[in-house]
Amino acid sequence: MSLPAKTSEQSSALSRFFFAKETPFGLALVRMLLPLACGFPMFMRFPQSRLLYTTDGSPVQMYELFGHGAVLPVLPPGVAIPLYSLMLACFVCLSIGFCTRVSAIAAAVLYIYFNFMDGVGTMTKYSVIASHMLVLLSVSQAGVIWSVDAWLARRRNPQFRTLPPRVAVWPMRLMQILFAHIYFGAAITKIQTASFFSGEQMRYWMLSNWNYENPVGEMMAMWSPLLLVSAYISVVWEMMFPFLAWRPRGRFVALGMGVMFHFMTWLTLGLYVFPAICISSYFGYMNEKDFLFVRNWAARLRVDRWFVMPLVASERGLTALPRMLPAPAVWASLVAVATLACTEAELRMDIYGRNTAEGGYRLKPMDPLVARTMIKGSQPLREQDKYFSFEIGTMLVGNQLANRRAEFEFGETMIAQANLNPPHEDMWVECLLQDDEGRTIEQFGQFVTREKLKTNFIYEFGSKLVPGDYFMVLKSANKEVYRRPFVLTGTPPAQYRFSDVTN
Amino acid sequence: MSGWKKVGVSAFIAVYVSYLSWGVMAHALKVGLCGNTLSYFVVWDMFCGWTAWDSRTHIIAQDSSGQFLEVREPWGEFHPYGHVARIHYDNTNHLLPKHIDHVLDHTVHDSIDRVYVVEEVWPKQYNLPPRLFQEYFSRPNDKLSYFHVRGIFSEDGLAMSLNPDWHDTQRLNAVYDNPRLRRQSSNATGLYSTLYSPRQSQSSGSLTTN
Repeated sequence: MSLPAKTSEQSSALSRFFFAKETPFGLALVRMLLPLACGFPMFMRFPQSRLLYTTDGSPVQMYELFGHGAVLPVLPPGVAIPLYSLMLACFVCLSIGFCTRVSAIAAAVLYIYFNFMDGVGTMTKYSVIASHMLVLLSVSQAGVIWSVDAWLARRRNPQFRTLPPRVAVWPMRLMQILFAHIYFGAAITKIQTASFFSGEQMRYWMLSNWNYENPVGEMMAMWSPLLLVSAYISVVWEMMFPFLAWRPRGRFVALGMGVMFHFMTWLTLGLYVFPAICISSYFGYMNEKDFLFVRNWAARLRVDRWFVMPLVASERGLTALPRMLPAPAVWASLVAVATLACTEAELRMDIYGRNTAEGGYRLKPMDPLVARTMIKGSQPLREQDKYFSFEIGTMLVGNQLANRRAEFEFGETMIAQANLNPPHEDMWVECLLQDDEGRTIEQFGQFVTREKLKTNFIYEFGSKLVPGDYFMVLKSANKEVYRRPFVLTGTPPAQYRFSDVTN
Repeated sequence: MSGWKKVGVSAFIAVYVSYLSWGVMAHALKVGLCGNTLSYFVVWDMFCGWTAWDSRTHIIAQDSSGQFLEVREPWGEFHPYGHVARIHYDNTNHLLPKHIDHVLDHTVHDSIDRVYVVEEVWPKQYNLPPRLFQEYFSRPNDKLSYFHVRGIFSEDGLAMSLNPDWHDTQRLNAVYDNPRLRRQSSNATGLYSTLYSPRQSQSSGSLTTN
């Protein structure tokens, strides 16, 4: 008899999880912030919309990248650009909560379409996350509070002023489940990528200029042990996220680390839009209690006084609007005007210069010497370019040299580490110990096969050397590639003498 | 919430969560993803394929008078995520032919005889600013770019010469730099089908297909 009761209890817990009712404060914040975060790059792409998404440009659909050809219709500029403008207008309307449902549906459909149309320069993983979020916003009641729609509803029914409405939380739960999958899936990707855990992949990403400026990343890139530790922390956090995200206290740890993680991706990798989309979506985790806590805290600090003026001004502005105008008609008129204005503006931009005297721009001539250098064929690689770095120190962390040293003492063990740039061939690499006059004291070599990313040479300072200046030299294909100077200090240990044994 | 609405919402939740879970499992097990465009929406592979070498794509046209022209948008390149033009993000080469057609169609120039597609690569450590480079490597930044011809095309777009990309070329060279493999490959034959067909030989008792 107890089994059905337990099943019913579980079913009721599941029902409460998805269908409990709350005032959607978090959802409203997502609705306000997310369209701005994902809409910003789309606004920036507007001048190039003809090039990226129309028959008068060079769109490459996502379907083409997956080998299916052009599945979606490519629209002429006369249709695609007004639709693109409509999408931008809908982002604004969604953010302010004006005809929220219609704006969200239109924004979601058009955003996904235009991302699909340019798989090279528009579609990326942040647009995928934003697409999910827009779809979930379009099926939610995100506009019931803090929106133009809510204000219009209050104006029609004054009893709405007493308490904010409460709605089922399932759209917020789906947003939360989405992020649990994102992080868990990202952890699986990292686990499958061996070089992620040795720090090499992060290092090369930080040295890439494929995203925005990342000066902090360029500095961190050379501290591989730090990258190694960060890699393990991020994977553990991502794996734990689904198990912490719904715990009363654990979710603060999961989300707090998430904020830190995305902040660091901005700082070290030069990602701007990705963190903005993720952090604005994190408000989907905010429940009623969280909001009330923040509001009480803000009231104690009197932060709310900063919001009084804008709220009163917007309320007055909205009150001045005539009552007889139906909201959908106003929305349609505003969107139509914005769409027409944008379409006209794009036409006047004349990006291809068709209205110039020649009817187009001329291609830029190239210096023949430069052109011939580029097309004459592949050059052999310099030996030094096969190596990323050559460092000397005494400590390894995760097989990465953790300390760069220029001074050593007798009794210490030197580790000389050469990092290689893949792909490289099977190589014979030598390390030479030389004195300050260039005389070779020791020479040792080893094979470095093509799959290796680094190689270590271990040298123990015994009794053979005297204090002074030395060099550790890396040679590849019998050519000197790197030379690291160091100073040996201290007192050499007693040297082995034949007479000690015989006496 | 009415009963039917709740059923509809429950169905939506079930389908959506199943879709997300399928993506994670398919990604973990590497199954069902190849050629599946919609999998892109549920596979979270944000760390794949960051190489040690930075690369850029250059397109050079040679007109009928022998002059070399840079096939680059004269109206300004589009930089999707930073300071790198869109064409350089085209690692699958789906954009490349469209881009060349598009730029040539929308610009003024003499008739084009040849189009060269050249890959430029350099080790990523040279991306460091000079001060950091000097600090880490104790030598001046003597960056050298390597150029690798990917393809040469005639005026009508016909490929006259195609080469693997620079990374693949390096890997192939590394494997081919082996006398034993070179000897075996030179003695082997690249033919896959022979005159012998088991089915035909059963029916006709002949080694040939006749």
